[in-house]
Amino acid sequence: MDIDVLVVATIARALAFATPLLWAALGEVIAERSGVVNLGVEGMMALGAVTGFAVAFTTGDVWWGLAAAGLAGMLGSLLHAFVAITLRADAYVSGLSLTMLGLGLSALIGRAWVGRPLPDPMRTIDVPWLRELPLLGPMLFQGQYVLTYAALLAAVVAWAMLFHTRGGLVLRSVGENPTAVDAAGLHVRPVRYAAVLIGGLLAGIGGGYLSLAYRPSWGEGMVNGLGWIALALAIFAMWHPLRVIVAGLLFGACFTLAFRLQTVFPPELLTMLPYVFTVLALVFTAWRRGRLAFGAPEALGRAYLRGER
Amino acid sequence: MIGALRRRRAARRWEPRADAPAWRVMLVTIAAVAVAALVVTWVFVAYGVAPGEAWATIVRRTLLEPRGLSETVRKAIPLLLAGIGLLLAFRARFWNIGAEGQILAGAIGATAVALFTELPGPLVVPAMFLAGMLAGAAWGAVPALLKARMGVNEIITTLMFNYIALYLVRWLINGPWKARSATGFSYSERFPAEAVLPTLGATRLHWPTLAIALVLVAVVALLLARSRFGFEVEVLGRSPEAARYAGIDAGRVTLLLAALAAGAAGLAGVGEVAGIHRRLVEPTQLSLGYGYAAILVALLARGKALAVVPAALFLGFVFAAGDVMRVSLRLPSQLPDVVTGLVLLLVVASEPLTRGRWVRRDPAEAATAPAAEAPVAPPAAATAGAPAGGAAHASPDGEG
Amino acid sequence: MKHAARLALALALLLPLGFGSAQRALEDLKIAFLYVGPVGDYGFSYAHDLGRQALVERFPGLETTFVESVPEAEVEPFVDQLIADGHNVIIGTSFGFGDGLLAAAERYPDVIFGHATGIERAPNVFTFMADFWQVYYLNGLVAGALSETGTIGYVAAFPIPEVKRHINAFAIGAREVDPDAVVEVRWLYAWFDPAGAQEATQALMSEGADVFAFTEDTPTVIQVAATRGFPSFSHYASMLPFSPETVASGQLVNWEAILIDVVEKILDGTYTADNLADVDYFWGLGEGSVEAGAEPGMLINPVYEAQLRAEVLDHPEFGEISVYELVERRLEQMSTLPPEFEPFTGPLRDRQGNLVYADGVSATIDELLGMEWAAENVRGPWDGEP
Repeated sequence: MDIDVLVVATIARALAFATPLLWAALGEVIAERSGVVNLGVEGMMALGAVTGFAVAFTTGDVWWGLAAAGLAGMLGSLLHAFVAITLRADAYVSGLSLTMLGLGLSALIGRAWVGRPLPDPMRTIDVPWLRELPLLGPMLFQGQYVLTYAALLAAVVAWAMLFHTRGGLVLRSVGENPTAVDAAGLHVRPVRYAAVLIGGLLAGIGGGYLSLAYRPSWGEGMVNGLGWIALALAIFAMWHPLRVIVAGLLFGACFTLAFRLQTVFPPELLTMLPYVFTVLALVFTAWRRGRLAFGAPEALGRAYLRGER
Repeated sequence: MIGALRRRRAARRWEPRADAPAWRVMLVTIAAVAVAALVVTWVFVAYGVAPGEAWATIVRRTLLEPRGLSETVRKAIPLLLAGIGLLLAFRARFWNIGAEGQILAGAIGATAVALFTELPGPLVVPAMFLAGMLAGAAWGAVPALLKARMGVNEIITTLMFNYIALYLVRWLINGPWKARSATGFSYSERFPAEAVLPTLGATRLHWPTLAIALVLVAVVALLLARSRFGFEVEVLGRSPEAARYAGIDAGRVTLLLAALAAGAAGLAGVGEVAGIHRRLVEPTQLSLGYGYAAILVALLARGKALAVVPAALFLGFVFAAGDVMRVSLRLPSQLPDVVTGLVLLLVVASEPLTRGRWVRRDPAEAATAPAAEAPVAPPAAATAGAPAGGAAHASPDGEG
Repeated sequence: MKHAARLALALALLLPLGFGSAQRALEDLKIAFLYVGPVGDYGFSYAHDLGRQALVERFPGLETTFVESVPEAEVEPFVDQLIADGHNVIIGTSFGFGDGLLAAAERYPDVIFGHATGIERAPNVFTFMADFWQVYYLNGLVAGALSETGTIGYVAAFPIPEVKRHINAFAIGAREVDPDAVVEVRWLYAWFDPAGAQEATQALMSEGADVFAFTEDTPTVIQVAATRGFPSFSHYASMLPFSPETVASGQLVNWEAILIDVVEKILDGTYTADNLADVDYFWGLGEGSVEAGAEPGMLINPVYEAQLRAEVLDHPEFGEISVYELVERRLEQMSTLPPEFEPFTGPLRDRQGNLVYADGVSATIDELLGMEWAAENVRGPWDGEP
């Protein structure tokens, strides 16, 4: 294959593949920025995927389906928020339990929807005018889903909100130093609740993309580990929304290249490519930036209890 | 919108207590399990299964019948091994979620010895355990090294190493180690008889692995309670800064702990291939998510080494009960996952109750309480970031 | 079948004691199936469950049950439970269940065990397989005619002989219609990987493939190919609903053909828990255990009928013949017992140029089962190529 065809196709496919990762990772960034780690992404995506499919199938409208998907993810995250924030139980166990619960529940609900094609799935679009551009047209503006562009937009919005609004400052402060926020007369828990729920909403949308657009059908195990990858990407992006785009695209490019380069490299080794590459990219970043590279929110994973430090 | 977040003063507040009495922990845990049992009973009713009979079947099949009981304990073996290792790692705030990959690495090590060495018979099994432990440890040491030397986040690296191990096993059984005998299906050759673990009577309980697991738990408990190393782990777990003041080499301790933890998971992998499969198999069949379930075991054990035993047995029982539900009770095969998730959520949700109690707020305290101790973090703090050692951490003890 | 029953009846009359005691009543049978995946995988396990349902339809009142998503390591304890619950015939449907089934069979000598895709048997363990190689060849004929670019995409799970045999049969069929057609293969290294199947299909499209076949447990390839209007083939179950306009044909399995035969023979006393060591089914088109078609009864999707009738070639065996008719003729030839035509018949060369079968020589069943070589027009990586 010509190298320019390869590059164009790889980037175009990286975008399509990475879209659910972008949504879910973005959600996790927001939740973790407020100090609440949520390992339930895989479960929330599965809930979103099955609910979105069921609703889209019943109503015949993918957009209702998508809304339902986001809501389902949000409901899942509400459970996590209650256990980890209100009850102050261990956020890691709570998230893992949510993943188990979400995968089981989605499979259980989904029994009725297996093997049914979605009559009217989400359509791909060509962006008018921009699609005509040489190279960039086929690379970015042909045959993608609206949700892909929406994910990119969401990343920019999240960045602006987190880093350039007072609300964003409060959210980040809650994740860095909840005691200080509390002392300043602001509630910690509502902020954390909001962040976790937004995280669930975005993860649910990511799941909805899978069952409404990427592969319009439902099957048990259809999320297939993407939630875990999204978790890793959130950290890989150092909890920064714009870097999530870069991280997601890199991972997506590796994933699709694993099939495109099979004629050149042994395929069984290529399947490891996205994972090996992620580790190498992290090492490289760390090496370039020195030891202070990773800005985890200081209070990440710790329940907040007033009067306790 | 921000104004709405201004807080009201509550009349009561939560008073945390670092060391809750054992009876309290017991009571709360039993209460949580009882509530979980009620939920499961409701599920039975909802699916039209007679609850009394269902529970009787579950108890009989998982605890009373010898074969059933042996299977319940057998499921707990990898959870014990990987769990005790993870407990160590978590104590030092090394967030290893790579036990699954380390189990696979251990299985690879054991298979290499079983199939490709010419050791005298009695030495084969010890050599397999050793090789599996070393392979697991090596697999876990890489992320630990990257974290200690370069500050690379271990959550990602250990997770990625799970996938890499998975594809490594797939490559081995599809390529260089593929059996000639299995009509080309993806398996290694069968292990010779001397590389297969003995089992207890007619059961599949590979007792050598169980014995190793129990000894390991005891050793770790002793180590944590009585040794200089235990002290170092304790200090490091509480605060990396304190560890630095105490002259503890955080990098060295982390590396050692991570390798130990991964070595334990590696042993679990040896048990699975040498005790159950008797050849290297498809990775998702080799370990049924034991490495992930072990995270729950370690967290449920709350940093207490001996508590890993009941935690692993409990999870083993939950899994075995789930099997009874879908095989004998004819419930949907997806239901056990739902039940497991619910049970675990309930158990974890009850846990804070063991750690403190509600007390009436003293009016004087209410007026002055939490005074401004530190200014709101400046925006730069969020991006400039914490010291490398402070990446995504949380103590399994809850708030340290 | 009728004949066998009559024979059994005659024997039973001749030997009132002894022989008749081996017969079993339908009500005594309790059959449990162990599936490797969820019934909803819409692939392998789904097809097995359709077989179970058809079996019950054929024998009303027969008691059956199934357990889905059974891990290899749990086969033995699951069998313990099923037998404790009164089941006396256990059918496992994955190669990896072999060890567990054989170990259990030793402990329960009175229970009959069946192992799909298995190779090891015992007095109370039989093996069975419904294989697609003939059907893939037929689909290859269709693919060769439908491809305009001459590049046919194939998304494959694992490089094991079963999959290699299917790719080769498919490629041989394509070549018979279009001597320049190539089959481009991409590997998933997984039986179930929807995202991988999606990206592999996309990669094949970039390579110019315009017709798609696959061995994977989801309809992903069909859905992705349909976005560009490219034809594809159902695998295992009918996947026509996922794209009624583009599923050209496919490979369908009727596991019940074998299961019905087994149950009949258990009932009439032919099969007992002592005499199964040599019972091995390897059934194809002739026995009705597999079928070619986009869905049962639809050999070729009417959407493509005109195109395939218009595509006429000069065939060495049939002379001037349309591809549509060629498919029908070959289907007839392979539907007889024994088959009049075998796709793997020489002269056949592998893609390295070695002669695998000389003129007129056909593959034996053992050679089919252990196939490692790649057909001449297969492209892409090929693990374990001799």
